[in-house]
Amino acid sequence: MTSWVPAEFTAALPEIFVALAAMALLLIGAFRGDSQTRTSGWFAVAVLIVAGGLVAGTAASPGSAFGGMFVADAFARFTKILVLTGTALAVILSISYIEREDMARFEYPVLFLFATVGMMMMISANDLIALYVGLELQSLALYVAAAFRRDSLRSSEAGLKYFVLGALASGMLLYGASLVYGFAGTTSFAGIAKSLGANPGNIGALVGLVFIMAGLAFKISAVPFHMWTPDVYEGAPTSVTAFFAVAPKVAALSLFVRVLVGPFGSIVAQWQQIIVAIAILSMVLGAFAAIKQTNIKRLMAYSSIGNVGYMLVGLAAGTEAGVRGMLIYLAIYLAMTVGTFACILAMRVHGRAVEGLDDLKGLGRNRPALALVLAVFMFSMAGIPPLAGFFGKYFVFLAAVQAGMFALAVIGVLASVVAAFYYLRIVKIMYFDEPADAFDRLPGREVGVVMTVTGLFIALFLIIPGPMLHAAAVAAKSLFPG
Amino acid sequence: MYSAIVFLPLLGAAIAGLFGRLIGDRASQWVTTGLLLISAVLACVGFARVVLGGAPFDVEVMRWIVSGTFEVSWALRFDALSAVMCVVVTVVSGMVHAYSWGYMSHDKSIARFFSYLSLFTFFMLMLVTSNNFVQMFFGWEGVGLASYLLIGFWYDRPSANAAAIKAFLVNRVGDFGFALGILGTFMVFNAVAFDTVFAGVPGVAGKTVHFLGLSVEVMTLLCLLLFVGAMGKSAQLGLHTWLPDAMEGPTPVSALIHAATMVTAGVFMVCRLSPMFEYSQTALTVVTVVGALTAFFAATVGLVQNDIKRVIAYSTCSQLGYMFFAAGVSAYSAAMFHLTTHAFFKALLFLGAGSVIHAMSGEQDMRKMGGIWRKIPVTYTFMWIGSLALAGVPFFAGYFSKDLIIEAAFASKTGVGQFAFWMGTIAAALTAFYSWRLLFMTFHGESRADHDVLHHVHESPVSMTAPMALLAVGAVFSGVALAGLFTGEASSAFWGKAIYVAANHTALKDAHHVALWLKVLPIAVAFAGILAAWYMYIRKPNLPAAMAAEFSDVHSFLYNKWYFDELYDVLFVRPAKWLGRVLWQGGDGRIIDGFGPNGLAALTLDVARRAARLQSGYLYHYAFAMLIGVALFVSYYLFVR
Amino acid sequence: MILQALAFYLFAAVTIASGVMVIAARNPVHSVLFLILAFFNAAGLFVLMGAEFLAFILVIVYVGAVAVLFLFVVMMLDINFVELRQGFLQYLPVGALVGVILLVEMVFVIGAWVVSPEATGLLAAKAPALAQATNAEALGRILYTKYVYLFQASGLVLLVAMIAAIVLTLRARPGVRRQNIADQVARSRDASVEVKDVPVGKGV
Repeated sequence: MTSWVPAEFTAALPEIFVALAAMALLLIGAFRGDSQTRTSGWFAVAVLIVAGGLVAGTAASPGSAFGGMFVADAFARFTKILVLTGTALAVILSISYIEREDMARFEYPVLFLFATVGMMMMISANDLIALYVGLELQSLALYVAAAFRRDSLRSSEAGLKYFVLGALASGMLLYGASLVYGFAGTTSFAGIAKSLGANPGNIGALVGLVFIMAGLAFKISAVPFHMWTPDVYEGAPTSVTAFFAVAPKVAALSLFVRVLVGPFGSIVAQWQQIIVAIAILSMVLGAFAAIKQTNIKRLMAYSSIGNVGYMLVGLAAGTEAGVRGMLIYLAIYLAMTVGTFACILAMRVHGRAVEGLDDLKGLGRNRPALALVLAVFMFSMAGIPPLAGFFGKYFVFLAAVQAGMFALAVIGVLASVVAAFYYLRIVKIMYFDEPADAFDRLPGREVGVVMTVTGLFIALFLIIPGPMLHAAAVAAKSLFPG
Repeated sequence: MYSAIVFLPLLGAAIAGLFGRLIGDRASQWVTTGLLLISAVLACVGFARVVLGGAPFDVEVMRWIVSGTFEVSWALRFDALSAVMCVVVTVVSGMVHAYSWGYMSHDKSIARFFSYLSLFTFFMLMLVTSNNFVQMFFGWEGVGLASYLLIGFWYDRPSANAAAIKAFLVNRVGDFGFALGILGTFMVFNAVAFDTVFAGVPGVAGKTVHFLGLSVEVMTLLCLLLFVGAMGKSAQLGLHTWLPDAMEGPTPVSALIHAATMVTAGVFMVCRLSPMFEYSQTALTVVTVVGALTAFFAATVGLVQNDIKRVIAYSTCSQLGYMFFAAGVSAYSAAMFHLTTHAFFKALLFLGAGSVIHAMSGEQDMRKMGGIWRKIPVTYTFMWIGSLALAGVPFFAGYFSKDLIIEAAFASKTGVGQFAFWMGTIAAALTAFYSWRLLFMTFHGESRADHDVLHHVHESPVSMTAPMALLAVGAVFSGVALAGLFTGEASSAFWGKAIYVAANHTALKDAHHVALWLKVLPIAVAFAGILAAWYMYIRKPNLPAAMAAEFSDVHSFLYNKWYFDELYDVLFVRPAKWLGRVLWQGGDGRIIDGFGPNGLAALTLDVARRAARLQSGYLYHYAFAMLIGVALFVSYYLFVR
Repeated sequence: MILQALAFYLFAAVTIASGVMVIAARNPVHSVLFLILAFFNAAGLFVLMGAEFLAFILVIVYVGAVAVLFLFVVMMLDINFVELRQGFLQYLPVGALVGVILLVEMVFVIGAWVVSPEATGLLAAKAPALAQATNAEALGRILYTKYVYLFQASGLVLLVAMIAAIVLTLRARPGVRRQNIADQVARSRDASVEVKDVPVGKGV
């Protein structure tokens, strides 16, 4: 009985560490009150960085733990590091923001840490129950984060909507999981794979998978399960939205990949069609609906829907190259999105945060540096070489073409042309429209640093793409044994 | 050495063009003129080598294009034809460069001007030394470009821009024919090198091809297409309209490009391709008729023009007609001879006209000149020499070449030859008339210029008169010096294989043995023309106006250049504009933009509006969307698959 | 055996019927009451399966705590039921259509149900025979060993839920007086009593 304990600890050390640190932070906060929020914010960042180190260090040897419910492989390592990076950046961006917006309470970083634990559990889930528990831990923390500014009607509404729809999605997921369990007699991914391998055409398992996919698609806000996204993005506090836009996307998409490629890997041909459908719907809706938006957070919501569509193109290919492309896209998407939200956080006029596209008018003249950085992100999102965004799209479309899905790739390219319209419109507004009121100084030095670092990553990705591409390749390979 | 002849001007053009601002106008002038003069000396050396009986040879610069069976090497051919052309081009160009020192001294962008001049020279040399069609076409288009740049040199003048565009567009028509001819040649012979093509011509002669339901002889089709190119470049009747307008460019440009060199490229091309033209009697007939008509037409128009440069421009047009009908009756060496002598005296006339314009502070209208011969005696003398040479007064250069052409036309004994002979003779009389009309109106009689202008009339500086003097030497002696070499007994040895004349085409040989009256007739009509001019402009100065009033229809017909521009306006320009407008507003605007960019954009916005409206904000809508999505996917698996 | 089957169908039917009534009832208080009924019947189903521990947990926790809390909340909140119903009726056709389609599809699925032949071999934790261990014992044996990961993770979920409740609802209201025993005990006489010398006949 005692023999497995050390192994569990090494494989799940980062999760255990973050969970314990979160509880410690909770205790400190409970005793010290809200005055120490800034300190606990930086403490949380430190925790996340250490956890990243642990992930990078411990997961060198892939292993499973807790009776096979938890798996730590190269794929998990890659995506966990992305999640930890995204969360850390989001926390850094939040520190000044929550003080300014009068919502600096010590629970804020604690919630982020618990959400991170949930996300890491999702990534490492190797069992339907583990999947569900991780997902719920993450979601619950996010519901609260969305409603964190409880005095704001919009924030509360966002949290409530997210909660209700999230509950519905969780219900679907559980229903699907129970169908699959009923068929396979087990919730372990390996077991499901075994059952399906022996009996691939089972309609019950397939319908169960559809429900599971619906639940997961909700988390990554893929059409038609995306409806919550614009409202929640707009209503939630901006720093929380920045968090929403990156880390949970990474985690849910990783989970999506792991579920589809792992236990359901033998019925690729079946789930591929659904992925293709939601990928196309996401890309097209993300591209078209964003055009009419006037609120930049709402616009970013549609942008993230569209980006999820592109990432699903990589998954739809169902190949190692596709997953690799998707992982590269994820990493680049994370940098672009965090950077863009850093710019959005800098949108303050007369001490008040603004979110309208019109407020960006003439930014090129008022704040040239900020405008330049935002323009880099917009060009990158539009997929214009040599910026990183181009390579993300390139690799997923390449994988789709290699898999023979020409129509999908063509639709993707067309959608990205439409999407380029609204990204470039922001650039146009910044540089060619009559200036509106100038923005205040940057809300904090750390916002500028995040902006610069992500901006440099996007602009210079071309120069040293090697390590990233290699890591993504290794991660993708670990999902496709043999 | 031979590469140097061609590439030194390019070097000069590059230096002056790219670093003109850096090194200054003076240095640019030195570099371009110096390099060009070196090139001219080298060209003369090369010419001497050919005269002494050196065999023709090719200098390969590099492989240019290799694509399948299509192979073009970039090579320079030096034989009699290109040696003559090299001398003509580099010497005239060198004189024009030198002349421009003085003429352009007040201009703002001297370096640019000299760079263009040298660039033009390079392209012209490229054209004449090519040993294949593609390289010739490269040079052909290059001189067109340089011509465009130089006509529009004063780009702040709308008329100069319009003239430049007109020259370019009219040449496009010719170049299109030329390009088609080259493509056709490649189709037929599967080669573009002259040697290969010429070797294959006898095998193809007489074969026909079906084209648009017509049965056409292959060689006739190819030659006619190529001749269309020559017509465009050499301003032959129909495609001549750009040449008078091209006088908008600076006068040295007119002298170099639109008198001595570029416009003769068409003649050169026909001579170079003589092994092809000789195999198509139809093509030769067309060449003869077009040349003869041009000679006559341009001479008549030249009678009544008032712009000094335009008179000379029409004169050029007319002389080019002579060269073409010489080529048309297989007297290619006579055509080349006239080309050479013409280059000297026409350049001289233009430079002289430039000198007059310079003296008259930019005035070009002869009606506002007169009586200035005492003030600019040097220019006056040179203009006389040029005019004597042009009119074919004995022992001046023009006499040898032009009379030979007229005699050759008569001696060809064909119907079109006779036609060309009479046209040429009449044109000779007209030529003499308008040349002396120009002299008398410009230099004699009462001055009709403003007092201010008259006060400033001054002789041009040495930098302008010295090149003119050199050209004048050419205008006087080139005829007598080169007659034996080009068209005499030794001529067949001189030209060698560069010019091919079919055995039964003996016009040139027979031309030396025509009746005496034929030899005298051109001289007689020339003197008649001079006398008529003297009578009308010196003796009875009121007569021209009276005649113009009396025969106003004829006068305005001639004055308006036979209404060619107006005709083209109605036939081509307006329909083209109409078509353009229809395609622009209807085709492009309504159909392509309407369904394309604008339509798609509108559709996109419409879809965007609908997509945004999906987002109602109601929770149960969202939940419904999710449920419907799941239901659809499940249904898909249950029922569709 | 017959009795067991009868009991099963009774419990199941009542569960479903009360489930329908939870959403169909006009009065939300009735809805909650139907929910309680559904819980009870579900507990009955558990008992039928021999899972008496779960049955009691269901009754004690869900009926005893959760549903009663629901009842309080519903009674205390002022909800405009008429307005809520309007939306319901408006979308009833669409909703019903989607529901019916899904229902039909589920019937199809369950009609074609196959349990994977490998399933029995893959069962993660077979329930021990009743004679060997009681319900609670059997659960406890695996809950703290095999499923310790899920157990701890659920604990985290509950912790987050607690934090959430506090974050979203707890607020320091100014002007609310609370009893602070420590303050009361530490109060000194000087801080709270003032002795005034009142002159006779003048008042304070």
